[in-house]
Amino acid sequence: MRPISSGGVPWLVTAMICGVATLAWSHHAAAPVFDMSAEKTLMGVVKQVDWTNPHIWIWLDVQNASGQVERWGLEGMSPNFLARRGWARTSLLPGMRITVTFRPLRDGKAGGMFMTGKLENGKILTSVGAE
Amino acid sequence: MTLAMRIALLLVTAVTISVAAQDSTPKPPAAADWAALAKLPDLTGVWEAPTVGRGGQGRAGGPPPVPELTPAYAAKKRELDARNSDDTEAANCLPTGMPAIMGHPYPYEFLLTPGKVTIVSEAYMQVRHVYTDGRPLPADPDPTFNGTSIGRWDRDTLVVETIGFSPLTTIARNTPHSDRMRIVERFRLTGPDTMSIDTTVIDPEALTKPWTTTRTLARHRDWTIREYICEENNRNFLDAQGKAGVKLDAPVKKE
Repeated sequence: MRPISSGGVPWLVTAMICGVATLAWSHHAAAPVFDMSAEKTLMGVVKQVDWTNPHIWIWLDVQNASGQVERWGLEGMSPNFLARRGWARTSLLPGMRITVTFRPLRDGKAGGMFMTGKLENGKILTSVGAE
Repeated sequence: MTLAMRIALLLVTAVTISVAAQDSTPKPPAAADWAALAKLPDLTGVWEAPTVGRGGQGRAGGPPPVPELTPAYAAKKRELDARNSDDTEAANCLPTGMPAIMGHPYPYEFLLTPGKVTIVSEAYMQVRHVYTDGRPLPADPDPTFNGTSIGRWDRDTLVVETIGFSPLTTIARNTPHSDRMRIVERFRLTGPDTMSIDTTVIDPEALTKPWTTTRTLARHRDWTIREYICEENNRNFLDAQGKAGVKLDAPVKKE
């Protein structure tokens, strides 16, 4: 599990990404906290998933360049929104390896807004639904 | 005043209050009242804007018109804009109130019972109580987030009038309302499972003319309303200086 530098990833469902960019989040504005013009990619192991309102939180253990494991937190939509669009509480479980794309936090901390995730079995989860 | 006179006066007062209370007490629904519901347009079920999750919630034909403000309220808006707050108190889990409560990217359930339409908003677990039993709006209701509502059926359209809004609610972003704000909504089925809502905000102190927007909702017969406790795991915040942020402290413990 090494972090991948930001850049294009072929399996991205670009149409869905375009949809996400202007998705209205009733709870808070995304742009003040997340850099909506940036997209980063990480590989990690799911440590915990908070299937909670007002947002789900995906906590990943990610090995950094110097070999240390860092804890990353990614905010997704709500369980209410996602459960109607193909996600389930069990879509992501601790121990699963996942490659995620996200909008990074503007303050540079280890977190961001979840965009897409690709599981080892090829299943793709996006912030607006699951395949 | 003698004791007898005082007792007589008390009795008269008590009887008067009792009669008044009886007059304003709604009658319990009869079988005919339940049967009458079947003749109304069927607004029941769970509804959501069809554009949710597909690129925002603009209305067909372009963005909604912007409210036109009076000079005094344009000045208030400029002052709030200048504070340059990152977000609203919704980030701290404060519900938005009317009219924004009807613009969420979350579903609504409409319930029709005799003399009442109830609108359940999933976002923030809010409820609007719309009385359709012919009662008038109160003259001076306590200000609340969702206001005080009555409704009537204008042929196929449910017309809802709402007054009495908390000063913590706004017409739009950084746009305060006066205590004379009145909101009229027209709910109408436009297809088997589509509903249009025309919302008109009237505020003679804040707006130079009524501000009308339209939102379309799609019915999902197979959906149910879910719980939404904003405080369950809210990591977003807006601080007193208007700066938004995210708390990345230890996650909810599962073990």
